Amino acid sequence: MTSPDEKARASKKYVRTFIFSMRTGTPVEKLHVITKVSMIIIFSVLTLYMFDIPVSRGGPDIIGLFLLLFLAFILLAIARTTKYLVTTYLVLSIPFLLAQFFWWLFFNWSLPGARMTFYFWPGFLPIGISTIVFVGAFSVVYFKTRTLWLSLVVGFLMWWFTVMPSMISNSPLTTWIRVPLGKSYPFLLPQWSAYVAFAKVVGYGVLIYTSFLFLLTTRDIEIGGALRQLRLSFRKSFFVMLMFRNLNTILLDYESIRMAQIARAANVIRKGILSRMYDLAYTSIPLVATMIRRSTEMGVALYARGFEASKNMTDYKEIKRLNAIDFTIMAILAVFLIYEVILGHSLTASFMR
Amino acid sequence: MNGEEKTEEKTVSHTKNKYPWSNYTLKLGRGEPVSTTQYVLYAVQIAAVIILSWLSATVVPAIGGISFFYFVYPFFLVFTMWWGIWGILGAYAGSVIGAGLLVGWGPVVSVAYSVGDIVPTLFAFVLYRGLLANRGYDSLWRDLTDKEVAGVKTRRVGAWVWFLLINGVVLNLLSGLIGTYVPWAMGVIAANAFWVSFAGWTIGDLVAMVIITPVLVKGLTSLVERQGLVNRGWIT
Repeated sequence: MTSPDEKARASKKYVRTFIFSMRTGTPVEKLHVITKVSMIIIFSVLTLYMFDIPVSRGGPDIIGLFLLLFLAFILLAIARTTKYLVTTYLVLSIPFLLAQFFWWLFFNWSLPGARMTFYFWPGFLPIGISTIVFVGAFSVVYFKTRTLWLSLVVGFLMWWFTVMPSMISNSPLTTWIRVPLGKSYPFLLPQWSAYVAFAKVVGYGVLIYTSFLFLLTTRDIEIGGALRQLRLSFRKSFFVMLMFRNLNTILLDYESIRMAQIARAANVIRKGILSRMYDLAYTSIPLVATMIRRSTEMGVALYARGFEASKNMTDYKEIKRLNAIDFTIMAILAVFLIYEVILGHSLTASFMR
Repeated sequence: MNGEEKTEEKTVSHTKNKYPWSNYTLKLGRGEPVSTTQYVLYAVQIAAVIILSWLSATVVPAIGGISFFYFVYPFFLVFTMWWGIWGILGAYAGSVIGAGLLVGWGPVVSVAYSVGDIVPTLFAFVLYRGLLANRGYDSLWRDLTDKEVAGVKTRRVGAWVWFLLINGVVLNLLSGLIGTYVPWAMGVIAANAFWVSFAGWTIGDLVAMVIITPVLVKGLTSLVERQGLVNRGWIT
């Protein structure tokens, strides 16, 4: 015999999470929030360890990192959040990941080992893999954004990224035609730097997508329930829930205030960077004023419902129990953690042996 | 006779400090539990700080993973001056969740590097409420923008000098050092980019602090104080 509450919840196809809505009934939705927290912590520890293995010990564990990234994507797909992820964060994270690649490539000159030639410009226009990369990147970005300049910038960056390493520019396998153009501008970097930079990018990918896995598949009420299970008082659990529950409201307030500014011609005149900073500052005043007004209203509402007087609060319905699948996942991750971090093995080293 | 003496002593102790901000001290609070309105306000301000941290880290371009205009930083400071320990908690939660987890830094790095945002708020609160407030400087920083507060003439030049020296230089450098060193040591910031990221952190925070703090103080401190929402001490 199911209760009306259970029926009502079973009839819902989607439930609201921190930054999206999640389909109900998926295996990831059924995981306990403690399992999800343990999972992102272990993924985070593993990533930090794997991408920081020194070159003297064989360098970053790229296979391990790819495995973690693959697992994160599999879990996101199981949670049926891939469509949202692809249309938003996946696109947004690409420029960040690219920037990190270059950052690690150029700001890691103290790596030991031999040096390798890279080009600012190879002295010829290479037609080959780099051309395909340019056309591909340009087409994808243009298809998604319909913005010519952005597509050109992304396409050019991706193209330059494939032209830069001498092993790609000079190899007849990857460069089929060379059109001489200007002088060559080479520079030297440690031969490990590209590998380390690439491993870092994969690692950042793991960190980003496991964080999103948690944020896209966790509800504020689950956190409240888990805190109650961990014997935290109702007042403290409710405080944390209030905090998470207000995230969306504050974001909506911020958007409304920004739109109101635009409606009042804030964007009509082209402004310098300082004026834009001041604009940002002036957005904060209505935001904080709204926040205070809302808090006062919510405080009165809570008071009127006997929040201060009540001793025995009704507990959350969403309190879940840790079940076999939760323990299995935590055990597998713990084994992986011990294998990599404590015993110091590397999947890349094991496969390359 | 004894009763009269006691009354006199009490009167003296109440008028000992002449500044209109003398109520704001380093005591625990008002001697009463957190009211429901305060309870909600503290939770909502943390939520606001989380969102602003997230926007600061994503809307503004970053240098080596560090936002070069971290506009939530003055909110950390001003909210701490208003709400004591709750402002400090907000700064930490904002940094961990808004500028850490929501940006995709993962929980370990976020929890560790965000200590860099506790330090300036904590020290600023202690220094202003415990030391500078007794020397004529407003612990709510109204003397940065106002010529007088509740009939008492402010020392604006001195207020700005202390504000820039304490928050802009000393605490900002300390915060930048912790906030950059932790991710650098964890291998998140490129090995030879420590000083670039450190400069990005400190300059970004300094610029935001100088531009936004006066606007926040001028526009909101009186409103918050009028509603009785400023903490007398650490907790209430």
